[in-house]
This record gives sequence, structure tokens and C-alpha cells, in this order.
Amino acid sequence: MKQIRILLADDHTVMRRGLRLLLESHPQFGVVAEASDGRQAVEQAEATEPDVAVLDIAMPNLNGIEAAQRINAALPNTAIVILSMHSDEGYVLRALKAGAKGYLLKDSAEGDLIDAIQSVYDGKTFFSPEITKMLMEDYVREIRTRGADDSYDLLTSREKEILQLLVELKSNKEIAHVLNLSLYTIETHRRNLHEKLNLHSLPELILYAVRKGVTS
Amino acid sequence: MARASRATSSDRVFFRSRFAMAVGFGGLLAIMALAGVDALNVLHQFRRKDDRIRRRYLSQNHVLNDIRSDVYVSGTYVRDYLLEPDTERAGAYRASLEEVRRHMESSLEAYRRDVAPTEAQHYSALQVELRDYWEILDPIVKWDPAERRRSGYAFLRDEVFPRRQNMLELAGRIDALNEQQLDSGNHQVVALLLSFQTRLLLTLLAALALGLGLALFTMRRILNLEEQARLQYVEVAEARSQLKELSARLVQAQETERRSLSRELHDEVGQALSAVLIELRNLSAGLGVRSEEQLRRHVETIKGLVESTVRVVRNMALLLRPSMLDDLGLIPALKWQARECSKSTTMDVTFAAELDSDELPDEYKTCIYRVVQEALHNCARHSHATTVRIRVRQELDRLLLTVQDDGQGFDVQETKGMGLLGIQERVTRLGGKCKVHSQPGRGAILSVELPFTKGNQEENTSAYAHETNSHPVG
Repeated sequence: MKQIRILLADDHTVMRRGLRLLLESHPQFGVVAEASDGRQAVEQAEATEPDVAVLDIAMPNLNGIEAAQRINAALPNTAIVILSMHSDEGYVLRALKAGAKGYLLKDSAEGDLIDAIQSVYDGKTFFSPEITKMLMEDYVREIRTRGADDSYDLLTSREKEILQLLVELKSNKEIAHVLNLSLYTIETHRRNLHEKLNLHSLPELILYAVRKGVTS
Repeated sequence: MARASRATSSDRVFFRSRFAMAVGFGGLLAIMALAGVDALNVLHQFRRKDDRIRRRYLSQNHVLNDIRSDVYVSGTYVRDYLLEPDTERAGAYRASLEEVRRHMESSLEAYRRDVAPTEAQHYSALQVELRDYWEILDPIVKWDPAERRRSGYAFLRDEVFPRRQNMLELAGRIDALNEQQLDSGNHQVVALLLSFQTRLLLTLLAALALGLGLALFTMRRILNLEEQARLQYVEVAEARSQLKELSARLVQAQETERRSLSRELHDEVGQALSAVLIELRNLSAGLGVRSEEQLRRHVETIKGLVESTVRVVRNMALLLRPSMLDDLGLIPALKWQARECSKSTTMDVTFAAELDSDELPDEYKTCIYRVVQEALHNCARHSHATTVRIRVRQELDRLLLTVQDDGQGFDVQETKGMGLLGIQERVTRLGGKCKVHSQPGRGAILSVELPFTKGNQEENTSAYAHETNSHPVG
């Protein structure tokens, strides 16, 4: 079985060592590089081309989000997981916009890291359960306090299906294949989806789906 | 802007009053100087005229006296000549008589030079009389001693003495006229003095009136200035005491904050870490002794303690300075704040932003963030509001922030809490303005205006980038 090659970047040696020990206890993971700041992380990533880069959000020289942006631009096949202390959606959205596929709270990193790496390696998104829970709660509270319509109800079942697939990071082509529809139809549905939800980027759609509990 | 226009208007007032005072004092001095020059001039005229009148009188008088004494002396010489038997002596008398005649004629000529019109008639009469007198005397010069002895006395009695009397009378009349002249001259001088007196009186009255006006004006100005100075002093004193109070309260607030931080560090973090230490000791003591189940319980306890400690530390760090402000910028930080506030209070907090770019200079971000924080804190504590609306808007040359609640409101004049003072302080430091509109029962609007230009922004963007790159605290 092929090992998943991992880059670990965190400015705290203790944290890095802990994560490395954790990963090395699973034979399917191999830590191929370590970095103690953002710049180094980018360099190491370019040198080793890992399958997954785990980046702490708060690092000197270049923070995790900016490092993610650069790594994503240079190595689109490297999946990125952001490690963060912040459970706020602002950070999550920013991480997604930077190209991260996973967002992990440091508190629960040791429990969820394995799942997160596996998920993003498999091409899916991953969020710490606390994040998902919080986002969903926020959404519910907003609906309740504002008395706003739940825009999710405006979606047709086809659109909901496509939303779910989009959030699983499937391309339009893949979705067309899965649903057995033409690419043109998928594109039209997707435009409607953006329009109805008033969300105009994939990260926002992903966040929305998380809040709605659409993703698994 | 307002200060500048106030300065120019006060400058104008100062300029106007200075101008008025210069004109007033200048006028007063000019009038006084004029009066002085006039007085000197009049005195000079007076003295000259008086002098001239007196000198003329004296010289005419002197000439008349000369003529009179010449008349007498000539009579004496005529008599001595007529009565002198010795031819030689008579010749000497005759010579003397000739001399007197010449002297008299020159005197008469001298008088003629300065004869007054009123005297002209008497003067020409005197002239005729004198000429006749000398003409009468002419023949006797040729008389021989016998003839002189014979008809000399009769000639004296009949011709010389009456004529002499006549002449003396005329001279007396002229003398009287001359005196009259002196008198009228004196009258003229007195009239001159009188007219001068009137003029001087008028001048003095004008000076007095002007001086009085000037004094009133100056007094009013001084009183005004005094009042202004007093008001300014009161203002300054008030501002100073306000500042003092503010700084005292700031120091107090700082102390309170430190105390709560210290307590939190000690009570929460310190205690939890101590507990972790104890549990770890238990754990290491129990290794190999206790069952795995027991050990796991210890580990779980430690995990729980550390987790809660991490939470406490993070909350403290967020309270001190939300790293989000540095990592994500103002708008996400404000959104987060609105969300957090909605979560932790009963208020529904909404946030809307119209910004060209989120990359504001650090001090602006901090200022707006803290102002919103403080305002939300105030709303949560005092207003009983159900909704709070936060808006940030960027205009051409300024940033506008409003925080509006629908709470119970308050009297803006009477209530000035620490929070508002702190907001004002922060806003003023950036050269901005801060206003609160509120009435009891009608909610409150806090509006903040910060001067802000694009150049300002670009200038600071590099600093911002540098900071985000350096080391954001996570």
C-alpha cells in the first residue's frame, strides 16, 4: 500500500513532535518534511512535493494561510490541512479561499488529524467536528433570530445534489459523470445555485454546506 | 476648519479694534498737538502785535516830544537871537536855530513814515503850522542888531508865542490820537486773545469728547477681552480637570483590567496547571502499580484540565488583542465580534461594511475595532437593546462608523461613562469626531468620523503587509 507523504509545518517544536509521533504510529503515513515557519514550509513543499501539507495558521515569516496559497498555486495536487486555534468562520473561509481542504482545531488535532489527512487525500473536505457544530449552530441561530427564510429550501433536489457533490470537491465534469447529465446542464444548475444562495465562490458554498449539515 | 475660521474672525475683530484705537488715539494726539501749536502761534502773534503797537507808540511819542521840545528850544533860540546885542553870539544862536529846524524837520519826516490814517489830518495841519512858523522866522535872520532891538520883543509876543502855542496844541492832539491808537491796538490784541480763547475752548471740548469716547471704547474692549480670557481660562481649567479625571479613570481601568487578568492567570491557569502537575505526579507514581483503567482516568482528568486551560488562555489573548484583526483584517474581525456578541448576549448584532479595501492602517483598524467593542459592551450592559446595527462606510476622505441600538437610550448630557470617554479619546487621537445621539426611550446612535485619505492608506499598506507577514499571534 502506498504511503501518504506528509509535510508538517508548525513553529512550536513540541507540537510538531507530538503530531509526528502521532502520524508515525500509523503505517500508512510518512512525514517527509518538517518546517518551523511559512517560508520554510513553501520551500520544503516545493522540494518534496508531499501529498498532504499540514500547516499551522500562526507561523512567523509567512502565516499558514499565505503559505497555503503559495503551495496551492505551485502544487495543485498537494492537499492542505490548516491547523488553527480559531474556530471562527472568518478563519475557515479564509483558509478555504487559500486553497485548504481541511481545517482542524489544534485542541482536537490528535483525535482528528488522521481522519483529516485521509479525507483531504481522498479529495474531500474535512472540518473539525467542533467547527461543523459551531457553524451549524450559528446558522440555526441566525435563521431563528432574523426570522429569515432558509435559502436552502429554495433549492431543487437536483441543485441540492449538485451542492453536495461540489462540496465533495468534485469538478463539473465529474458531477456530470456521476449524475449522468451534460456538462452544460451542470453549469446551468451551478449558476442557479450561486444565484439562489447569493454565494459566489466555492469556499462560500462549502462553508454554507457545512453550516447546513449537507456534508457528511 | 472651525478653529481656523474662528481664528480669522477674531483676528478681524482684533484688527478692527486696533484700527479704531489707533484712529482714536491718533486723533486725540493730533487735536492736542494742534491746540498747542495754535496756542503758541497766537501767543507769538499776540506778543509781536503788542510789541509793535507799544514800540510804535513809544517811537511816535518820542518824535512828538522831540518836536515839542524843538518848538520850545527854537522859541528860546529866537528870543536869545532877537535879544542878543552881540553880533557874533547872535550868529551862534541863529546857527543853533537852523540846527533845531533841521532836527525838527527830520523828526517830522520820521513821524510821517508811520502816521496812522486817523492822525493824517492833524499831522498835515501841524506840518503847515510848522512850515508857516519857520517862514515867519525866515526874515528875522536878516535883521541887524538895531532892528532886532527895536522890533524883536513885539515879534516874539505877536508872532512866535501864539504860533508856538498853536503847534504845541496840535502836538498834544496828535499825542492824544497816538494814545488812542495804542488803546485800540490793545483792544485788537485783547480781541485776538478772546477769539483764541474760544477756539482753545472748542478744541479742548473736542479733545475731551474724543478722549471720553476713546476711554469708553477702550474700556469696553478691555472688559470684553477680560471676559474672553476668563471664559478661556474656565474652558482650559475644565478641559484640564476632565483630562485629569480621564487619566485617573484610565489608570484605574488599567489597574482593574490587570487585576482581573492577574486573577484569571492565577486562579484559572495557575490552579489548572498545578492540578495537572499533581495529576501527572499521581500518574507517574501509579505507573506499573495501578490498573490501566485507573491510569486512563488520570490521563482523562489531565486532558480535561489542559483543554479548559487552553480555552481560558485563548479567551484572555482574544480579549487583549484579537489576532483576527491582524490575520484577517477589520471586517472579518468585526463580523466575528458581532457574531460573538449575538451568541453571548440576547442582542441581535448585525454588521455591514462598505469599504474599498480592508487594508486599513493598523491604528485605524484598532481604533474602529475597540470603539465597536466598547459600544457593544455598553449596549449589552446598559441599553436592554434587542438589535444593534454596526455600519462601517468609507467615503472619499473619511471613514464613518455607526453603532445603533434600539435600547432604552439615555441622556447624553448627563451620562458620560468610562466607555464613551475611552471611545472619544481613541477617536480624537486619530483626529476624528465622535457623537452620540440618544434620548431616553429612543435608543442610541454612536457615530464616529475618522479623517482618512487614499494616500494615507497606500502609505500604510506596506506597514500592514509587513506586520501580517512578521508574526501574527494565533
